Amino acid sequence: MSCSDSNPAATPTPCQDTQGDGRWMSLHNRFVSDSKGKEPDVLFVGDSLVQFMHEFEVWRKLFSPLHALNFGIGGDATQHVLWRLSNGELDHINPKVVVLWVGTNNHGHTAEQISAGIQAIISVINHKLPNAHTVVLSVLPRGRSQNPLRERNAAVNTLLKEALLSVSHASFLDVDCGFVQSDGTIAHQDMYDYLHLTPQAYNRVCQPIHTHIQALLNTHTQN
Amino acid sequence: MSEEENPAAIPAPVQDVQGDGRWMSQHSRFVQECKDAEPDVLFVGDSMVQLMQQYEVWRELFSPLHALNFGIGGDTTCNVLWRLQNGELENIRPRVVVLWVGTNNHEHTAEQVAGGILAIAQLLHSRLPKSKIVVLGLLPRGELPNPLREKNATVNNLLRASLPRLGPVQFLDVGGGFVHSDGTISSRDMFDFLHLTASAYSTIATPLHELLLQLLEETPQERRASLV
Ligand SMILES: [Ca+2]
Repeated sequence: MSCSDSNPAATPTPCQDTQGDGRWMSLHNRFVSDSKGKEPDVLFVGDSLVQFMHEFEVWRKLFSPLHALNFGIGGDATQHVLWRLSNGELDHINPKVVVLWVGTNNHGHTAEQISAGIQAIISVINHKLPNAHTVVLSVLPRGRSQNPLRERNAAVNTLLKEALLSVSHASFLDVDCGFVQSDGTIAHQDMYDYLHLTPQAYNRVCQPIHTHIQALLNTHTQN
Repeated sequence: MSEEENPAAIPAPVQDVQGDGRWMSQHSRFVQECKDAEPDVLFVGDSMVQLMQQYEVWRELFSPLHALNFGIGGDTTCNVLWRLQNGELENIRPRVVVLWVGTNNHEHTAEQVAGGILAIAQLLHSRLPKSKIVVLGLLPRGELPNPLREKNATVNNLLRASLPRLGPVQFLDVGGGFVHSDGTISSRDMFDFLHLTASAYSTIATPLHELLLQLLEETPQERRASLV
């Protein structure tokens, strides 16, 4: 997409407080103030898939020891993450690796728009943190049975994988560890609501993420 | 308020606006689970119920009570009412039902939400006349004081006043400790100022677990009756 203004997924947008308890802005403000005085080596940014990871054992086991911060907000689409990162969440930190996981909540957007939205986020990260490497995690399949959102998410992944080949400061990591079974269904033991991961599924997904981050951190140290 | 004129007491399935059919898939799974399981305790409600099952506290305290978890994130009283009328109470005879729903009823007033919860309790009572029912109070939400906190508190006050008139129904408010003296809620208790962290679940699970143990201790008469 050449003109980001025509793509809603690539247009920074704060989440509207339709419920009336101001939780989204509270979280954003907390992330900004939390980041002051912290010196994270790794930053996780994204939607509920990032946010919930922090609530399970796997976070303390694998990512807390890497000095990781978690800026995940449930329900966020690419345009919301774009707004947050452009409005203070990257201003007080200098992480070596940023893990980005977002896109499945971009309802009403095409795969092309979502892929461009994610690339716009990568650009903001690269602009604000020129020494950081961004790892984009694949958008997971969803829904118990075959459905259009699975195809859309798969198309996002294909586009991103191709686009990031030529980008030196970002890479694509496929984290789908066989969630779709041979009969086409996703098990609730992996995704309890056919979208969010169970603690067991997080354990499987996070192992390759951890390995990838560590390799990047080692490279970073050598440079 | 009669049920007919209360929009929070009208059964309604969730519309599949996202297009992946997840809500109906979960409901169908719950109906299937009813055919295979013989739960003593049934948890029904929204994400507050659903997320509990993803934490250690579920395996530690509630699984051993033979509990089933029929929580779906985002559900309102209307959605729970629809699910319970459409198969989620078939083939099971839990001795206790725990109901926790209402904080997602954004379109409805406190009076309507309380009426919706009451309608669910009445449905449970008529479908499972021997079961005891625990209604959990709505939690405060939002980092700072806001209208939804006041609304949820009003719902709780209405429930506290009306539920005792409804047979074997108990109201349990587990939200006492979440608002600090400066009016804030901590992200250590509610990670997104709505949903509970693992440690907050452990805190609220203690009084709930004690109440469930009490309710499950039946008299010999009750035991004979349930075997008939
Ligand atoms: Ca059964």
